[in-house]
Amino acid sequence: MEKKMTDIIEVNQLVKKFKLRKKSTGIKGLFRPEYRNITAVNKISFNIRKGERVAFIGPNGAGKSTTIKMLSSILYPTSGIARVKGLIPWENRAALSYHIGTVFGQRSQLWYHLPVQDSFALLARIYNINDIAFKRRLAGLVKLFEIRDLLPHPTRSLSLGQRMRCEIVASLLHKPQILFLDEPTIGLDVTAKEIIRNLIKKQALEEDTTLLLTSHDTDDMEKVCERVIIINKGRLIFDDSIAALKKSYLSKKYIEVTTDSGEKIRHVVNTGQKPVKQALDELIRQYHITDITVENPPMEEIIKEIYNRD
Amino acid sequence: MGAKFVSFCRLFLLIQKNHAKTAFLSKSDAFVNVLMMVVNNFSFIFMWWVIFENKGSINGWSFGEMALLFAVMNNAFAFFALFARGSQTLPEYIGNGSLDNFLTTPRNTLFMISVSESTVANWGDFITGFAMFFLSGYVSWNSFLLMLLSSFCAAIVTYAFRLMVSCLAFWAEDTQRLGDNIFMAFLTFAGQPASIFTGWYKILFLTVIPSGFISLYPVEIIKNFSWSALGWLLLGSFGFLFLSIKVFKFGLRRYTSGNRFGIR
Repeated sequence: MEKKMTDIIEVNQLVKKFKLRKKSTGIKGLFRPEYRNITAVNKISFNIRKGERVAFIGPNGAGKSTTIKMLSSILYPTSGIARVKGLIPWENRAALSYHIGTVFGQRSQLWYHLPVQDSFALLARIYNINDIAFKRRLAGLVKLFEIRDLLPHPTRSLSLGQRMRCEIVASLLHKPQILFLDEPTIGLDVTAKEIIRNLIKKQALEEDTTLLLTSHDTDDMEKVCERVIIINKGRLIFDDSIAALKKSYLSKKYIEVTTDSGEKIRHVVNTGQKPVKQALDELIRQYHITDITVENPPMEEIIKEIYNRD
Repeated sequence: MGAKFVSFCRLFLLIQKNHAKTAFLSKSDAFVNVLMMVVNNFSFIFMWWVIFENKGSINGWSFGEMALLFAVMNNAFAFFALFARGSQTLPEYIGNGSLDNFLTTPRNTLFMISVSESTVANWGDFITGFAMFFLSGYVSWNSFLLMLLSSFCAAIVTYAFRLMVSCLAFWAEDTQRLGDNIFMAFLTFAGQPASIFTGWYKILFLTVIPSGFISLYPVEIIKNFSWSALGWLLLGSFGFLFLSIKVFKFGLRRYTSGNRFGIR
């Protein structure tokens, strides 16, 4: 993607290789271990504009989390360059931390036994937020994320959905311009997922926060983001809007007909081989139909197809 | 610089307040833990008292010197365990990827890791340490101040050694137990009369396993103050601290993170 002045994240030919020790037996393996190189991220390049909401998706082991960890200053790359808010993350860890927020769905930044409000107060101290600014900021976030009742409760007593709302608030206290969300809806039930998605999007729109979100749930991508970057085996294989993704990969239509006996029949039509109209004509001739629905394949299937093509 | 230092102190105090709040969620548990630590320490000291009662002295050390050693050692360990125990948990942070949390804050990563853990039971070490100082027979204001300074330096050596051992986790997997065993050896040697280690043993315990900086110089300084002994103690403790920070920074570049499920 072409570099623009408003790019807040710039990634150029980023590579991350890990050295994994091979399992070995005997004395030789103990003193002369053998290693194999794993390329987790392989020369990926992309730019993200300020305020963009980008889904970063790929199968397990594709390199999503590794990329996010390099951009949020946790990991050093093997080669390549990245700039977040004009700063090289791994060289400007402290300065960058004021501009970014991180939410790792599998990990917590809240103190397990203490009331949530104590963790927030500590984070405010860590980020050097003065008391007045902290109270004002917290009041706004508490209202937006509806967590007033949760503040006096210890983290250990919260449900996963409640905890995730508090985690996101914790990562937003210092008003970061960029929010990295690594699987924020992992393990949540359908209702909790929906709440989290809505809140993330609402906050991003209100404060023009740039989002980079990884998830295995395609609904997270569709409902929160406007652009999608897909990586597989460490390589970037798609980078465009969600609308463009659907358009490029919609070679199938699902037709569901309900017959007069109440039976529901589902047909998959490959539009490259047969037009939808022809398929509909055939179905009408074959059955006594009372209802017809024509649908695009679910996003999940589109993604699966992209992975398979790769 | 001044504002930065004040901000750093305020953060340190708030973290300690949170540790205290966590520890005193069950007040009775906390008090029993502290009491048991004192009992545990004194049972070990009692064994040495019996030895000295029977032997009189070991290479010039009597129970008075041993009591000074226990004063310094217990206070040093209390400083370490109450205010910098996170260095001991570092292999776990590296193994499960929770080190990530410390890397995304604007504060010094090593400071945040070090203060992330505290064990309330180790207030019992302070109680033991001060009690042993008063039982040593070397009680004066001068000795008291030197004992505090020596304990602080010994705490720095303890912290630095533990940090270096913990940093093994940047190079190898599952080093928590190995690190704990090496650290236990360090503490065991620190709790012996320094007079029994001479020649090559003395060099060994001032370099590879620097327990000599707990047992040798502090007792010497409190008993017969000399600037050279104080100089060696300061040089050794801050030298090891400098080295441990270098090792940590070098290891951090190898950090590969992880994704184990968990909570702080």
